[in-house]
Amino acid sequence: MSSRTTPASPGVLAPSEPPGRRSLRARLRGVLPVLGSLQGYIGLVLVIAAGMLTKGQVFWNQQNLTNAVGAFASRGILAVGETLVILTAGIDLSVGSLLGIASMVSALLLVHQNLNIYEIVPLCMVVGAFFGLANGAATALLRIQSFVVTLAMLNVVRGIDRMLSDNVSVGTQLINAQGQLTPRSAQFQVLGTPGHNVFTGLPLPFVGRAGIYYPVLALVVVVVVFQLLLSKSKFGRHIYAVGGNETAARLSGVNTTYVKIAVFMLAGLLAGFAGPIDAAYSASADPLAGSSYELDAIAAVVIGGASLAGGRGSIVGTLVGSLILTLLDNVLGLNAISDNAQLIIKGLIVILAVVIQRPDFFRALGPAVRRLGRLTRTRTGDPPGEVASGSPQPQSATPPLEESR
Amino acid sequence: MGREIHETQPDNASGSSAPAAPGPGRVILAMNAITKTFPGVRALSGVDMTVRAGEVAAILGENGAGKSTLMNILAGVFSDYGGVIELDGVPVAIHSPKAAQHLGIAMIHQELNLVPDMSIVDNIFLGREPRTARGTIDRRRMDEQATRLLAEVGLTLHPRRPVRQCRVAEQQLIEVAKALSASLRVLVMDEPTSALADAEVRRLFTVIRRLAAQGVGIVYISHRLEELDEIADSVTVLRDGAYIGRREMAGTTRGELISMMVGRPLDELFPRSDSPTGPGEEVIRVEGLDLAGDRREGRAALHGVRLIARAGEIVGLAGLMGAGRSETLEAIYGVFPRRAVHGNVRLRGRRYQPRSPRHAIRNGIALVAEDRKAQSLVLTNSVRFNASLAALGRFMRRGTVSAARERAAVAGMVTDLRIKTPGLNTAVANLSGGNQQKVVLAKCLLTEPSLILMDEPTRGIDVGAKAEIYQLMTELARRGSAIVMVSSELPELLAMCDRIVVLCEGRVTAEFRRGEGSQEAILDAAMDRQAVLGIDAASPSRAPARREVSDE
Repeated sequence: MSSRTTPASPGVLAPSEPPGRRSLRARLRGVLPVLGSLQGYIGLVLVIAAGMLTKGQVFWNQQNLTNAVGAFASRGILAVGETLVILTAGIDLSVGSLLGIASMVSALLLVHQNLNIYEIVPLCMVVGAFFGLANGAATALLRIQSFVVTLAMLNVVRGIDRMLSDNVSVGTQLINAQGQLTPRSAQFQVLGTPGHNVFTGLPLPFVGRAGIYYPVLALVVVVVVFQLLLSKSKFGRHIYAVGGNETAARLSGVNTTYVKIAVFMLAGLLAGFAGPIDAAYSASADPLAGSSYELDAIAAVVIGGASLAGGRGSIVGTLVGSLILTLLDNVLGLNAISDNAQLIIKGLIVILAVVIQRPDFFRALGPAVRRLGRLTRTRTGDPPGEVASGSPQPQSATPPLEESR
Repeated sequence: MGREIHETQPDNASGSSAPAAPGPGRVILAMNAITKTFPGVRALSGVDMTVRAGEVAAILGENGAGKSTLMNILAGVFSDYGGVIELDGVPVAIHSPKAAQHLGIAMIHQELNLVPDMSIVDNIFLGREPRTARGTIDRRRMDEQATRLLAEVGLTLHPRRPVRQCRVAEQQLIEVAKALSASLRVLVMDEPTSALADAEVRRLFTVIRRLAAQGVGIVYISHRLEELDEIADSVTVLRDGAYIGRREMAGTTRGELISMMVGRPLDELFPRSDSPTGPGEEVIRVEGLDLAGDRREGRAALHGVRLIARAGEIVGLAGLMGAGRSETLEAIYGVFPRRAVHGNVRLRGRRYQPRSPRHAIRNGIALVAEDRKAQSLVLTNSVRFNASLAALGRFMRRGTVSAARERAAVAGMVTDLRIKTPGLNTAVANLSGGNQQKVVLAKCLLTEPSLILMDEPTRGIDVGAKAEIYQLMTELARRGSAIVMVSSELPELLAMCDRIVVLCEGRVTAEFRRGEGSQEAILDAAMDRQAVLGIDAASPSRAPARREVSDE
């Protein structure tokens, strides 16, 4: 084969440019897959443009944007967990219920046990992780399809949630004799209220800024941590391998059972983490809190460019998907479009997103755009910072795609 | 799963020259200067192909030469191509499979396209079911026609039988029956014999000849040169997407075709001579290996298999499909649940209990699985992702996978194995079969194994890549690895292996040292007639003389 002499093909991104020159482009190529698909960003820009055109300053000011993102933060965190599950070609329908029970547990712990948030949040995460573990075990060990397992779990957990609460919502704003919030309650409220110091629970000095907004902070931290996990760690690689080809992963020494259980557990853990945020945001834990959140989370993952067949997607992509949904919510709300119409629009957007995320979408758009598309196509699972410098000079053209049928 | 051993017949006396072809008819199909470009790759450049009525025109070429691409264009799978296609002298545009069907072009793909849970008749008429006057499906007419079509291809199956219950060879003929219609002008068959046993190949050839005699132009894609002698009238050779030439089969030698395919005379396919240094110490000793069969998963049972491989040795496993060759490798590799496997395995002198693939890798065992796409590769991911997957632990730094180390190691492998890829980040789906297989090998070698289990390591890859893989195996053995390889190609086993162990229905029936075996002797043992050269301890338990070839 090597003795064959074929003219080098022109279209191949040959790693033959001088190293100094290549580095920027190569670095870009390395980072871009992590960022999700270009289409996602186009969508985000479009939504922002729509907001600015229709509402201008009313939309584009920090207060409004922070509020918008804060309202969606708990669902964004759910979407991160959902991404992990979907990457392994599974699906988790129970995350909404898990968020619900975690928010209820957090409120009950606050009201009845008077715990502080450093105790409440970890306990809620344990609760979420427990049910996530059950999901994972049933999926990986009993080999039931995750759709079925988590559909059942959705109901089971919701039932437990409603039993715990006796079908009554539990307020988290506790007033003491002086008519003020109790310290613990004030501290808890910070989890969902802007302008407070996360650590002390005291209002921040207002200097023309909204201060640290805990839900946004939490979402950002979760996104960063889990994106690093996916692109830097061995476990992250294994997740992509299990979703891409489970048999190949197993024969390559990946403990597929462990990976599958772990992703469900992490999804549960994150749902548990998001529960208190949701409770604090709405100042009460409702027995129905989190209903249908799982659908928002899945929508965010799909809009973010992940494939439900597994093996393709990224956390940052999911973040972009979440932002599109949340800002769209906000823009539609500001324009006084009815809730019913909003549902229709959001549904259609999901379909549109899937259509334009097709890998060959750019092919239809002519060569200039196609080049952009090739640069950004989500080939995730490859860690960032990749440079193709180590590869040898290909002697001949890329082999034809004959076998890719 | 496995392919039958097929005997390489050195010029079958009866069918050596062209069969009773009705002479060259008019040109029924002419493809002129066909080009096709995939993103970044030119798959076909200016390929010509003509087929006459009543002719069996073979297309020959290595994997990745563009055979399937060309035929997919003809069948309307790819709509954007350059060049002109003429049918009966009339230029036609084939932009969809439907259009191809309309023009009387039918294609039988290598992977059969039947719906397993539907009946034969439903499959034959899928998409063109005859209707009654009331608009419902006319089952009676379907059954009648199906019976007639099946008879035409020599099948006597009941048309209402589910396709799932038919053997592969029968399914192949059902595909032919499906393609038959009054307007059929050109029938394309992509490697139709790759899953068939010898007798079934004959039956298929009879049907092909009969169709040709009726004036249908047959395009026949195959790797197997020995078949072409028998069935083809002419051969068109492609290489790297380019048209190399066309020859009448009569009067063309096999060597000539090979050098056209490969682009150079094929002098040294098998580099391995008798092992220069004697084998080293025992790497693995398997004794009394039993495996419970599992019909549902298509898993053959093993009964007391004995297998020894020493450092520097290549041991071959021969046998018919379903004899338990792959199962032997997989049992050692720890693929099966522990309760299904019993036996005594010693790895480098120490007792070894196969537990899981992960455990095997840690103990220096690597497996090159039989089906690289289904079992070895994450196709949509990059060369780097795939090559490093089994050895990620080696590239860890401060708890994360060090991109630099990983890249260096994979790049080294790409160079060593001469993997032709545009870059480390290219998706393996875009590589040719031979290069994909090399990525699988790279994955195994990065785990630094001392025992390499190879299941059909050269299946479906082109001759050039085969030679390179043989060379690599020789080199690995020379450096002290033990290799156990399963292969259905006897010449390959005979040329590469120091010893060949023959399995029949899960039992070892013979063992041959290098130079002792012959194709006939191996086949005999594989079919458990009197094994000719059984070595003393090699056949501890002789299987009862029943034979049952299953095709699943």
